[in-house]
Amino acid sequence: MRKYLTRSIAMIGAAALLTLSACGTEREGAAPADTGGSAAAPAKGFAADALIGVALPSKTSENWVLAGDLFTNGLKEAGFTSDVQYAGASTTVADQQAQISAMVTKGAKVIVIGATDAAQLTTQVKQAKEAGAVVIAYDRLITNTPDVDYYIAFDNFKVGQLQGQALLDGMKAKKPEAPWTVELFSGSPDDNNSGVFFNGAMDVLKPLIDKGDVVVGSGQTDIKQTAIQGWKAENAQQRMDSLLTSTYNGDKKLDGVLSPNDTLARAIITSVKGAGKDIPVVTGQDSEVESVKSIMAGEQYSTINKDTRKLVAETIGMVKSLQAGTEPTINDKDSYDNGQKVVPAYLLPPVIVTKDNAAESYANDPKLAPLTQG
Amino acid sequence: MMSAPVLLEMRSITKTFPGVTALADVNLEVRQGEIHAICGENGAGKSTLMKVLSGVHPHGTYTGDIVYQGEQVRFSDIRASERAGIVIIHQELALVPGMSITENIFLGNEPRGRFGIDWKVAQRRALELMEEVGLQEDPDTLVKDIGVGKQQLVEIAKAFAKDVKLLILDEPTAALNEADSRHLLDLLRGIRGRGVTSIIISHKLNEIEAVADTITILRDGRTIESLDVRADGVNEDRIVRGMVGRELHSRFPEHTPNIGEVFFEVRDWTVRHPISADRLVCKGSSFTVRRGEIVGFAGLMGAGRTELAMSLFGRSYGVYLSGRIFKDGEEVQLRTVSDAIGHGLAYVSEDRKAIGLNLLDDIKTSMVAAKLSKVATHGVVDPVREYRYAEEYRQSLRVKTPSVDEGVTKLSGGNQQKVVLAKWMFTDPDLLILDEPTRGIDVGAKYEIYGIIQRLADQGKGVIVISSELPELIGLCDRIYTVFEGTVTGEVPRAEADPELLMKQMTSTKKTPIR
Amino acid sequence: MSRIKDLQKNLFGGTTSNARQFGMIFTLVAIVLLFQIWTDGLTLTSGNLIAVVSQYSYILILAIGMLMVIVAGHIDLSVGSVAAFTGIVVAKAMQEFSLPWPVGILLGLAVGALIGAWQGFWVAYVGVPAFIVTLAGMLLFRGGNQYIGNADTVPVSEGFRTIGAGFLPEVGPNTGYNNLTLLLGLAACAGVIWRELKSRQTRREMNADVAPMWISVLRMAVMVGVIVFATLRFAGGRVGTSLPISGIILIVLVLAYSHYTRNTIGGRHIYAVGGNSRAAELSGVKLKRVNFLVMMNMSVLAALAGMIFVARSSASGPQDGLSWELDAIAAVFIGGAAVSGGLGTISGSIVGGLVMALLNNGLQLEGVGSDMVQIIKGLVLLLAVAFDVYNKSQGRFSIIGSLMRPFRRDDPPPPTDRPSPSSDADKAPVAG
Repeated sequence: MRKYLTRSIAMIGAAALLTLSACGTEREGAAPADTGGSAAAPAKGFAADALIGVALPSKTSENWVLAGDLFTNGLKEAGFTSDVQYAGASTTVADQQAQISAMVTKGAKVIVIGATDAAQLTTQVKQAKEAGAVVIAYDRLITNTPDVDYYIAFDNFKVGQLQGQALLDGMKAKKPEAPWTVELFSGSPDDNNSGVFFNGAMDVLKPLIDKGDVVVGSGQTDIKQTAIQGWKAENAQQRMDSLLTSTYNGDKKLDGVLSPNDTLARAIITSVKGAGKDIPVVTGQDSEVESVKSIMAGEQYSTINKDTRKLVAETIGMVKSLQAGTEPTINDKDSYDNGQKVVPAYLLPPVIVTKDNAAESYANDPKLAPLTQG
Repeated sequence: MMSAPVLLEMRSITKTFPGVTALADVNLEVRQGEIHAICGENGAGKSTLMKVLSGVHPHGTYTGDIVYQGEQVRFSDIRASERAGIVIIHQELALVPGMSITENIFLGNEPRGRFGIDWKVAQRRALELMEEVGLQEDPDTLVKDIGVGKQQLVEIAKAFAKDVKLLILDEPTAALNEADSRHLLDLLRGIRGRGVTSIIISHKLNEIEAVADTITILRDGRTIESLDVRADGVNEDRIVRGMVGRELHSRFPEHTPNIGEVFFEVRDWTVRHPISADRLVCKGSSFTVRRGEIVGFAGLMGAGRTELAMSLFGRSYGVYLSGRIFKDGEEVQLRTVSDAIGHGLAYVSEDRKAIGLNLLDDIKTSMVAAKLSKVATHGVVDPVREYRYAEEYRQSLRVKTPSVDEGVTKLSGGNQQKVVLAKWMFTDPDLLILDEPTRGIDVGAKYEIYGIIQRLADQGKGVIVISSELPELIGLCDRIYTVFEGTVTGEVPRAEADPELLMKQMTSTKKTPIR
Repeated sequence: MSRIKDLQKNLFGGTTSNARQFGMIFTLVAIVLLFQIWTDGLTLTSGNLIAVVSQYSYILILAIGMLMVIVAGHIDLSVGSVAAFTGIVVAKAMQEFSLPWPVGILLGLAVGALIGAWQGFWVAYVGVPAFIVTLAGMLLFRGGNQYIGNADTVPVSEGFRTIGAGFLPEVGPNTGYNNLTLLLGLAACAGVIWRELKSRQTRREMNADVAPMWISVLRMAVMVGVIVFATLRFAGGRVGTSLPISGIILIVLVLAYSHYTRNTIGGRHIYAVGGNSRAAELSGVKLKRVNFLVMMNMSVLAALAGMIFVARSSASGPQDGLSWELDAIAAVFIGGAAVSGGLGTISGSIVGGLVMALLNNGLQLEGVGSDMVQIIKGLVLLLAVAFDVYNKSQGRFSIIGSLMRPFRRDDPPPPTDRPSPSSDADKAPVAG
């Protein structure tokens, strides 16, 4: 018995030692990040073939798919190692959190994030920061954290303004005299941009609504009423269906619909068609293939060309300057407050596209250009 | 009879499972048109032999030859044997409850018409087949709405629909009451006249004696003997001797009852059916139990014996309407099963697999399940005490198992029944209600169970035994109540008990005076 | 042979589902090793292990409750929605009434208990199948989440975040490790050794065969080795990190619920109800109360899981809890529970959940897209259960047994219709 006991203690001890020796600690490795504090670390630069992580939302719109491909190829061309991830369709937030953690673990130097829920990434962004990675918020501003370094996007307020203006132009062309009856749609409430688009558009429309030239048929002008959860087409179609039955059931005419993007615009048009109404002026955004076809066919009125190629190219440019240790180009230092800090931003100008200027706008786009011919 | 040609011959069948020889050199010879019974204790190899015959154990997994209708056959599966006209009807019926009689008869064998199943033909054939088996029902009746006896007939009709030449019945009357059993046995005699041969496996030796032409007895995987019932003058004791390998002097252990005073009494117990409000399952039943007494309840299936027992046991069946229970002279309220257990009642159900045991449990867990508090401190079960109790019962009841850690499914029926008995003995009851305690159990184990029941009585407990087998009640009980349509119709002391008297009281509402 | 059998039996307990558990531990180790090699050692780094624990602790907490629900023969589809609903209620309440965060947590647990009582009532006392009740709950509380939160994301305070994103503080001398984590590890080692010795004593008191000493020693050595390794990994992360608080909550719950389900009367009753509810009822088990408590307990754990997720995400959002129920149910079934109830263990479910978690994590480290990850997870679930079904159809199973078959003298008994041979051969496959 005694013999067994001593032998057993020896064995347990040996096992412990074995694992002990196999175990390095990561305490030292992380020390520089602690001293780095909250400032980004642009001055240092990093290896030219370093890992760059790109975490995008689920593949719900063509744009994200395109952006993913562009990032994969662009980063490779620039000599970086890339890891581009989409969140799963049903478990978006949790997936994205796990993906960002994995990127941190793998030692990504820059993490570009197209957030699914802009307010729910605090922990991961902090983790990234502590590990010494630079965080770039791509297209959607990450809120509720001091740890995001840069924001890069199209000027979304401008997008909204352009949408509002296009709506007016379109309606004027069809029916020169006021008043015009419209309905308003806005994007998903968990997307920080939804409000920005909407406010941009209202910047143009509000004075006319107040004046009575533009009438919101249903009276729903509050963003909580107009929001479409998850940017989902089916939700937009549902809302439009119920608006049509509640407000436009007689021969009351609907002149225009403010739609924040193409997916929703098409859903709205489907709904109107289903109800047997004339298609109103419907705005859009993102230049999706189906919508460009729709514009050329005279159904959807406008879209916004936010050339994803340009945005991705600028983002990669930003990564390159970080790699070289230089400060990336910033053109807006004080507009984007995420609740914890003002995030330095680089904004690209959007372009409004209607049937008239489509050919010209998409001339350089291999996928869209053929659609605009003839 | 003897001159009839041999229909089936199984020669030197040996079937081994890794480590165990289930059948060793078994021979079976069945003649055209006879009723051939196969007898043996549980585990003697009866079912394995039938599985070999019907292709469940396909050719190649056993050695030996099967010669059927003069040709050597090698069945690869059960469909192959069915094509040859061999149909096996298992103890658990293979019917779809939610389908009609017609649909069940032709399930998997539907008459084809131009557009799928030709229901007209099916209906007509079904009526013919039902007539043949003596089943008087609307063929559109759902199988779940007819009794077990009639379901059995549907199975046989189904076999006829497949052009059966050799019908194998595994324990066909186990779940049937006397009347249905008699009908079934008559039917077997009837089809014998038409050239259909049958093999019957049964524990009910009186039935075998009555119906079989030839009996083959298996013991421990070997053929012991083949008896010609008429020529050899076979009786039950003769069969038992062959099965057990020794003479059983008596089917019941010697016992001198030591009966005390009345300690449990039920007065005017009235309970209605759980669903139909106007159906009374117990109507003003009254009875008493004395200390140290074994009281039998005789009755036909559906007479309300089980319903009476379960409704007493914490109102676990039906809706209580009226009646009073007295224990040790005081009235007690048994509203829940816990109340009943608390007042020293125990109920061993007739269907140990469906409601008596959790088949996922091991032996020790099952044995202590009805009174966990006895092995627990502050709600935490003490494995040592649990194990010790279980081990104690294993030894005293002689449960055949290597360890109480084994799952209960690994036990034979008799040993499972002992586990259920242990489970209720563990609650230290004053009154045990045993519902069909020996159903589906072989002769040897029955004897042991009788012994346990007598020991319980000797400890001063009251024991109620509900049984459909009159000889069992007469042999075991000190007093027998008869039940008919939910009412206690009579009371017969042991000395006066004989099957005829009991049967008369079991089929009539006329009360004989209670002494 | 008998030594190996004993080893297996002793290492994994004596329950019916242990072959499956053994298989899953095998799988888990294989997955860890595979990814450890494939990712050049990233899988077992401190940072990654810490991330995995905090990412999946809430799913594993759900799996604990789900196991009990499934053992009792029910299912709960509403856990994700209940978690999301609780999350938004707590976040909103703390935001609008500026409740201190501990009060917020209590509020959350109370909300969970209330929801659980609601669902338990319908299941146990009205008798509506749990599938329907919780399907309704899934819609109800998802809607409730959106109604209260206006589909908005509501941030929570720093203090509240501790339960999801917090770590043990750094105290004591600089050892190069997180000292509190080291202490926890030490306690765990002591616990393992104490339990082993205790169980040997119990076996001896039962007069049962006590496993040879070397088996106990080997087992202790393996477990202590694993604990020491894990401790050093968790203690050796970046300064300020340690074993996550959510991980500690998980461990406490696992220990408590394992004890409850295995050793107490209440736990036994859950298995009895799931194994054969009528038999349980006739043995004096209060069926309704067991069902009620099981459903209620699930919702309380779902509420806790929801709060941990909110704390980790630092905000409650409209997409919280989406398809969590599926992850939790998958973990339980991979861990060896039976669809029909009555079988399964907490530890099995945790192993099942860890298999899913590490698979997910490893694939993400490899940069495999979430679409492929889902496909692989789906296949793993299917294969794990198919494996079990196949083994059942084969009568019994033992991995070790099948590995050892060529060497052993005594053959296993047949899956026969002879249920009672008391021959020694019947002892061999006990582990199966």
